Amino acid sequence: MEYVIHLIILINIYIILTTSSNLLVGLTNLLSLGQAALYGIGAYLSVLALMVFHWPLIPTLLFSMIITSLLSLLLAWPSLRLKGDYFVLATLGFQLIVFTILYNWVSVTRGPYGIPGIPNPKLFGDIEISGLWAFFVLSLVLVVVVVFLFHNLIHSPFGRALKGIRDDELSMQALGKNVTALKIQAFVISSAFIAISGFLYATYVSYIDPTSFNLDESIFILSALIVGGLGNIRGPVIGALVVILLPEALRFIGLPDSVAANIRQIIYGLALIVLMRFRPQGIAGNYAIK
Amino acid sequence: MIWQFIVNGVITGMIYGVVALGFALVYNTTRIFHIAYAAIYMVAPYLLMFLFKGVGIPLLFSVILAMSGTVVIGMAVELLVYTPLIRHKSSSSVIMVSSIGAMIIIINVVALFAGNETKVINTEIAKSLKIGQVLITYTQLIQFVSSLLLFIAFFAFLKFSRFGIQTRAYRDDATLSAVLGLNTLRLRRILYILSSLFAGIGSCLIAWDVGMDPYVGMPMLLNAMVALIIGGIGRFEAPVLGGVLIGILQALVVYFTSARWQDAVTFTLLIIFLLFRPQGILGEKIRRV
Amino acid sequence: MQSSKMGDILTIQSLSKGFSRQVKNSAGEDIDEQYWVIHQLFLNVPRGKVIALIGGNGAGKTTLFNIISGFIMPDSGSILYKPDGKNLELSGMSPHLITRAGIGRMFQDNHIFREMSVLDNMLVADSAYLAERPFRSLLFRNKNRKEENCRLAKAMDIFENLFVVDNPFLEKRKQPAGNLSYGQQRLLGLARLFMRNYELLLLDEPTAGVNPEVIEQIKQLILNFIKNNQTVLLIEHNLEVVKDIADFCCYMENGRIALMGTPEDVIGNEEVQKSYMGL
Repeated sequence: MEYVIHLIILINIYIILTTSSNLLVGLTNLLSLGQAALYGIGAYLSVLALMVFHWPLIPTLLFSMIITSLLSLLLAWPSLRLKGDYFVLATLGFQLIVFTILYNWVSVTRGPYGIPGIPNPKLFGDIEISGLWAFFVLSLVLVVVVVFLFHNLIHSPFGRALKGIRDDELSMQALGKNVTALKIQAFVISSAFIAISGFLYATYVSYIDPTSFNLDESIFILSALIVGGLGNIRGPVIGALVVILLPEALRFIGLPDSVAANIRQIIYGLALIVLMRFRPQGIAGNYAIK
Repeated sequence: MIWQFIVNGVITGMIYGVVALGFALVYNTTRIFHIAYAAIYMVAPYLLMFLFKGVGIPLLFSVILAMSGTVVIGMAVELLVYTPLIRHKSSSSVIMVSSIGAMIIIINVVALFAGNETKVINTEIAKSLKIGQVLITYTQLIQFVSSLLLFIAFFAFLKFSRFGIQTRAYRDDATLSAVLGLNTLRLRRILYILSSLFAGIGSCLIAWDVGMDPYVGMPMLLNAMVALIIGGIGRFEAPVLGGVLIGILQALVVYFTSARWQDAVTFTLLIIFLLFRPQGILGEKIRRV
Repeated sequence: MQSSKMGDILTIQSLSKGFSRQVKNSAGEDIDEQYWVIHQLFLNVPRGKVIALIGGNGAGKTTLFNIISGFIMPDSGSILYKPDGKNLELSGMSPHLITRAGIGRMFQDNHIFREMSVLDNMLVADSAYLAERPFRSLLFRNKNRKEENCRLAKAMDIFENLFVVDNPFLEKRKQPAGNLSYGQQRLLGLARLFMRNYELLLLDEPTAGVNPEVIEQIKQLILNFIKNNQTVLLIEHNLEVVKDIADFCCYMENGRIALMGTPEDVIGNEEVQKSYMGL
């Protein structure tokens, strides 16, 4: 039973990751490979607030969200001046540079040694979020808030404007919309929420190191989103469920652990290839990337 | 002392150039973001090791068979993944995501069979010779000569053969070439075969020196893409130039600071070029009809 | 304020735009050749009228529109836009600001939002720049709902009143706009221009490729724009349409306005008949 709770917490972390990425990739058709970098920045900033400033939960979370979204401007500004493949390459460059900094700036981030012993966040002074059930509730609350907010965004004029950009950017400009500003807003909001996942991961696992936030992780998050589905609320949720539960299913049918990791990856690869050919909008999504 | 680093950098850079050229053969002509190239790159030395060490085939034949096997695997990706999508008129992002899927499959199949650890093919200590202050191992010599021969052969072919002229026409304008009756499918397949071949040659040259593991593909692909951007997308000389420059740059970074900052400098250079000179050093505007 | 109601809304002077292309010179080498698409173009667009722009393919008409709308930068010259007593130099402004200044645009290819519903196509064409800010979208729920209802009412009003009865827009309004026929999509492209009060509309071949009934509807829509002292600049190849609704006609050749006058005068002109119509 406890293991199930643990899985749900992981699923919640990934729902926030995929839902946030959906704003960029699904709603605006901006295929960014920099999610894991922002996820990592959110995690490390949370650790900074918790272990150096000794802040309680809410200031830590807000600090991480705000600074991560500001740093995402470093990603947005150069990338948005480029189109198509060059844009993807720029986000790739951002991802790699951030990883290299996290990995090599040992004096600040402890590099590959990672940061152990991340304390439990304290809510309103005394209430410590400690133990499986507390994190379960915390992650649930955060997931519900995030999904609710994104649902509102998707069905708002802002969401409609983003959909217009992905459909026909030229027309949007001709209709008087500041397309660049809208894209930057999408980046900033998406990053702020990815930081929430970073906070959750850091506090739940109590140990972080840069290898959790590398290019492979970006590809993983993107795959989860694409497989689950783009453009709506269901898709990212299904995507998170699939990537967290698939390993469990494999274990259930008796696959030995030594090959499980590789078999799992092969299944993801196949899923991507098959879906892109036959159902590019993903299992439960309503939009196919262009 | 610095010359040792520079020479090392040039030789490594030439291999970067070989690998980047292979990527450019596909990207410049078809604009396919051929991420699976990383996996095709990685597979070759494993095939070589299996044939040479496992089965015991003499080295020369092992190399030929391994290269053929690499080409076959590359062709499998083209036939099973890219061709159906191109026929279906899928967008370039969809093709890129599928390419990532293919890469993931190939890497994990190799990891399943051969394990995740670093493997070595050549276990002898390489002899070396000294030119002035600089020490060059025999392996490095092979790397240098092989790359150089490959470049000479390729560029001569490009300039003088009919295939070469067709390739340049196709690179300049795919649509017009097709309209003018160029057999673009066959040309694309030939370029693809060459691409896989270059990847295989490059990776075996490196693996003979330092060994390999299933995850060497992506870092090398990243270097190749940076080389392509820095050199420029257009003429095929560009990725070679970009590769050598990156090789030298990385060597200098190691000389002046330490190996850990190589990547940061390389990718910062990528961003700088993307922002301020996206056409690269040998920049060329590509006209489209 | 009588003077602002008359006079020109757009004054273009000495406009030039060149492109370069690679050609082979006599030695077989690739060189860059400069050619002018627009060359020293002068044009005064009178307010409140329908002005047709005719000319052969490649004469530079769409390029002119793209320059006015801000998608292409001219090499030299000035484009003075005078909405309400103000004088605005358009060259150098970005496209979305030019639109916000009151210049609407309809493109040659069908540039509607195919994947959005017909209704959403209209709603997004509203000038709701403030409502599209994300924080505004999340907070201020009641205000947003009221504004959205206003927008909806405006769109429905346009559907019901501007088109003939039994038009497909009402019944298909929730369907993706890509489901509409080509002619209906053209009409939608025009319809959404009514969601905002534009001073000047640039329409690029609105009747191209549509059947005669739709052409009639398009003509009616264009005349509707004029009712509120708006100006319409129209690229057209269909000379019947030009003769029917245009107050003025400009003939464009070799990158400049070669002739301007009433449609009868311009279309009946010998030179125009020879070079444009091949008579």
